[in-house]
Amino acid sequence: MDLIPPDATFVVLTTITLLGAIMALQAKELIYGAISLAVSFIGIAGFFVSLDAPYLAMLQIAVYVGAVVVLILFTIMLVRREEADKDESGETGESAAGLWIAGLLAVSIAGVAALAGPNLPTNPPTADLPITQLGSVLARSYPVPLIILALLLSGALLGALVLAKVDR
Amino acid sequence: MVNLPSTPADILPFIIAVVTSHTFITLVFFPGFIHLVIVVMFLTWYERKLLARIQLRIGPLYAGGPGGILQPIADGVKLIFKEVMIPYKADKPLFLGVPLALVFLGALPFAVIPFGQHWVIANLDVGLVFIFAVTSLFPSMILIFAWASNSKYPFLGGLRSLFQQVAYEIPMWISALSVVMLAGSLNLVQIVNAQQKIWFIVPAFLSFIVFFIATMAELERLPFDLPEAEPELVAGWFTESSGAIYMVIFLALYMKLYLMSSLVTILFLGGWWGPAFLPQPVWFILKALVVATFIIIPRGVYPRLRVDLLIKIGWTRLLIIALANVFITVVLLSTGVLAAWGL
Repeated sequence: MDLIPPDATFVVLTTITLLGAIMALQAKELIYGAISLAVSFIGIAGFFVSLDAPYLAMLQIAVYVGAVVVLILFTIMLVRREEADKDESGETGESAAGLWIAGLLAVSIAGVAALAGPNLPTNPPTADLPITQLGSVLARSYPVPLIILALLLSGALLGALVLAKVDR
Repeated sequence: MVNLPSTPADILPFIIAVVTSHTFITLVFFPGFIHLVIVVMFLTWYERKLLARIQLRIGPLYAGGPGGILQPIADGVKLIFKEVMIPYKADKPLFLGVPLALVFLGALPFAVIPFGQHWVIANLDVGLVFIFAVTSLFPSMILIFAWASNSKYPFLGGLRSLFQQVAYEIPMWISALSVVMLAGSLNLVQIVNAQQKIWFIVPAFLSFIVFFIATMAELERLPFDLPEAEPELVAGWFTESSGAIYMVIFLALYMKLYLMSSLVTILFLGGWWGPAFLPQPVWFILKALVVATFIIIPRGVYPRLRVDLLIKIGWTRLLIIALANVFITVVLLSTGVLAAWGL
């Protein structure tokens, strides 16, 4: 597999995204964490722009920076500071779970890269695809991933309902 | 594109070529920076004068020009020379940085707003989504600023603002959806071009109503100005801002007012189309100012809504009307009723 040498745009965007992600985890003040997360999301939107997918980039900003970060801010603002600070029990298997998730993610990314990497088309068709045809191309060429995504989203919605259910 | 100068003698022609290039003119003069500042300053004077006339007062008078039209300059000078008070234990970088970010975010969408067939800085294919993406950053900025003020009233105002803007963004997007379906494009120039024969306010009247109401809620205008309800929250989320910081926030808010009026003009009122005796940008600005007038007038007329009513109207009325109008648009398009107007 040939590795393409990274260009300046890629380096800058990677730096922004990774620094944002690291700052989001390391920030002392939670609100700075949320802002760093927004910066990281904007970096990812930059990747989409550099990959000739401006529509996806705009939706990335609107959904992740505009909505997800707002949700996180809501949570930070509405949780009482003292309770959040008191909860120092971070050693209840959370780090082990984190390691498991990170390992699984690394293995699956490596697997995808090893399986699909050599077979990727050298000239992806998305570059000159007008957005008016995005929907039909998605639904016609990739029906199975679309259905799986829909199932995943419904599952997440159901899970959120279960979590949010208050026992009366 | 202009080639970079290679010898000292080329520098002057280079500067002239840059200054007269289309990019420079659109970026700096029209529809860029200078036009934006002038219109925003005019809007601040216009709002004060209009509200004064509604309440049988005279309004700004002595600052010079007809009807005291130079009042915004006097206001600006006054605010710049006032002391910037930073509250005790406020988060200084955010308190000073967020207002600047708000102005940047308020000015950024004008890069894709077409004021005429060729008067647009960047003709993006996803212009409408770009505007929604940028304006969706406002609420979080407001909440962050309110938090950084380290004070009760701004914080309550910021939370209210966030609730309100998040609730009203959804009907707004959905009502814009029927316009996108009618025009078959997200490109703002193409959306306006599709309205050459009929303005979209006719086939998408319900959408127009929903979009207009949601616009007023997004702009925190009466009757939706709960985030800055002055009897209970002093001045809402910008209570602690003073001097230049207040001026910058004020500028951002009026930029957003102009932006939203322009968006209503583009989506529903045919953009720059009008009888040919006036140039296209003049028509556009006139229409946007008329929309702004209708956004301002309720401030002198209506009382404020209650919080629960506000959220209820957003989620149970506007959302449903917007969804119904999407269905109506589908029916209109598929039955070919609008074929006479080339839709």
